Amino acid sequence: MGTTLNDADALLQTRGTSQSLGAWVMAVAFCRTGKTLAFALGDGSLRIAEVATPEAEWRNVPVHQGTTRAVVADCTDGYLTGGDDGRLVHIAPEGEASELAGFGAMKWVENLAAHPAGVRLAAVGRAVHVLDGKGDRLKSLMHPSTVTGVALDAKGKRIVASHYNGASLWYVAAKEDKPRLLEWKGSHIGIAIHPEGTHVVTAMQEAALHGWRLEDGQHMRMSGYPGKTRSMGFTQSGRWLATAGSEAIVLWPFFGGGPMGKAPTELAGGDDVLVSRVACHPKHDVVAAGFSDGLVLMAEVSSGKIVPVAAPGRGAISALAWNPAGSHLAFGTEQGFCGVVNLSRQ
Amino acid sequence: MSQILTPDRPPIPVTVLTGYLGAGKTTLLNRILTENHGKKFAVVINEFGELGVDNDLVVDADEEVFEMNNGCICCTVRGDLIRILSGLMQRPGKLDGIIVETTGLADPAPVAQTFFVDEDVKRATKLDAIVTVVDAKNLLARLADSKEAAEQLAFADLIVLNKMDLVTPEEADAVEARIRTVNPWAQLIRSEKSRVPLDQVIGRDAFNLARILEHEPDFLSGEDTHTHDDEIQSLSFETDRPIDPEKFNAWISDLLATKGQDLLRTKGILAYAGEDRRFAFQAVHMIADGDFISPWKQGEPRHSKIVFIGRDLNRPRLRRGFEGCAA
Repeated sequence: MGTTLNDADALLQTRGTSQSLGAWVMAVAFCRTGKTLAFALGDGSLRIAEVATPEAEWRNVPVHQGTTRAVVADCTDGYLTGGDDGRLVHIAPEGEASELAGFGAMKWVENLAAHPAGVRLAAVGRAVHVLDGKGDRLKSLMHPSTVTGVALDAKGKRIVASHYNGASLWYVAAKEDKPRLLEWKGSHIGIAIHPEGTHVVTAMQEAALHGWRLEDGQHMRMSGYPGKTRSMGFTQSGRWLATAGSEAIVLWPFFGGGPMGKAPTELAGGDDVLVSRVACHPKHDVVAAGFSDGLVLMAEVSSGKIVPVAAPGRGAISALAWNPAGSHLAFGTEQGFCGVVNLSRQ
Repeated sequence: MSQILTPDRPPIPVTVLTGYLGAGKTTLLNRILTENHGKKFAVVINEFGELGVDNDLVVDADEEVFEMNNGCICCTVRGDLIRILSGLMQRPGKLDGIIVETTGLADPAPVAQTFFVDEDVKRATKLDAIVTVVDAKNLLARLADSKEAAEQLAFADLIVLNKMDLVTPEEADAVEARIRTVNPWAQLIRSEKSRVPLDQVIGRDAFNLARILEHEPDFLSGEDTHTHDDEIQSLSFETDRPIDPEKFNAWISDLLATKGQDLLRTKGILAYAGEDRRFAFQAVHMIADGDFISPWKQGEPRHSKIVFIGRDLNRPRLRRGFEGCAA
């Protein structure tokens, strides 16, 4: 391939490995041990690479009929995947697949979450199915409309789910399942919960965010996005919410009384290209961002310093993730280009 | 780099299939899915049990109609379709088309509006045609007892008049005449047991306004057909004088904002003053979309034309409004 070793691509070229896999990259995740990473692909497969030797051949695990819609790190090791065939599957790091649940053919399993405490969530239609670490189905939580996003709080005790006209907040261990309804008119298409469990934020169809402060139910409206926010996350410190959907990484401050009445910080803007994915570093206030032209970069929030990771030109970034130690960054594009870069001190 | 996919795939044509329960939609869908036509279609359905096909090209949807918070009181979209159509784009390989089935009682407006409102859907797909399957034997009864039956006709680009084996030629003509009072522009195909050539149904580019509006039904250009207030009617107006885009925008925006709920579909081909390309305009209720299309042909008369299908339409006022847009 004719890519030149230009500045923007230097980190990928000198410290990374890349492959073209020929199918839309739906998601990427590192497992909790940090030893492997896995790309979920539009062709129904999962591709697993070793973090220590990413240049070695990647395992190609055919998992789902249709598309592998989602992959997340499972509770202790390996991965949880969901697909167009209505199946929820555990994949061991070595690639062995075991089906945890089947929700019916033609039901897409698009939204997953898992926690080391032994909680697994799979949203299918209007239900969020809750499974334990052994794979037993504990309960199915029903919502008024299709669930478009799920998340667990940092302790793995609370569940939040986004849907039409708001979000629902549940407790994993509740004896009686009655949600706290966070209401806001409109179609909510994704969700995040603050690391300290104090705020819930949703992305909306109308290219805006909505949030709730849980202690008093106060609303937060964060608007001005030119595109939909398909990716967002809180920094590890909980100080910032990093969001995609604009020409810059838009960071909302969750300190000093914010985000109410505060302007967001914008990083790495300048071009007319939208941020399509963000991933917050697991230890520092550093945000990785992928753009719809294929550019990948890192931004340090305090200094605003930008470091390019991969050059544009290989498709819109559709997947982006850090490993648990924060030493490796992986990304994938709509065109099937996948990369993993070692950013540790060498 | 041979594995890299083409970055921007051409938009995939979507056919919306409406029709009352029992009209023959499912039979038609089964034919699309099982016939050896050498094409790859994905089908989005609502009542899976009726289809005898099990493959990953069939997606089960929950007809979820959402209001948009954009100030239009009647702006509704299908949230499930936004997710499914975007999701189908993420699969490898090219789809020749997508067929979206609606339930028998569905209002077609939210489906059609989804294609104008959502950025992802707009990028990946284009609305090819709204196809309404009707039962020649029972259509008149349905029109009498439900509002949806007439709306499904009003929205159609193509009407499949099915179950022809169950009616006499006279009955068929009477049904067709009734259909024409609601929608004079849709193409109409008569069929038995939903046997219609698939290339007549799918990939027709029926939303291509220029073609639809080219053939003006003779009986429509005359006087008003008598209608009750709540009945769906059609009106069309033409002018030889070039249109002023600003005047047209002001008029149509105000009209759709105040009258959009009654206007099921509005379509127009406009000759803007000083512009060699034709401007195609269309709206579903209050949601409008317009774009320049192919240029006027050499020597072709530059008529501007607008068509309304809706309820409680005031012909003189609409005519004055349209003619007032002249440059």
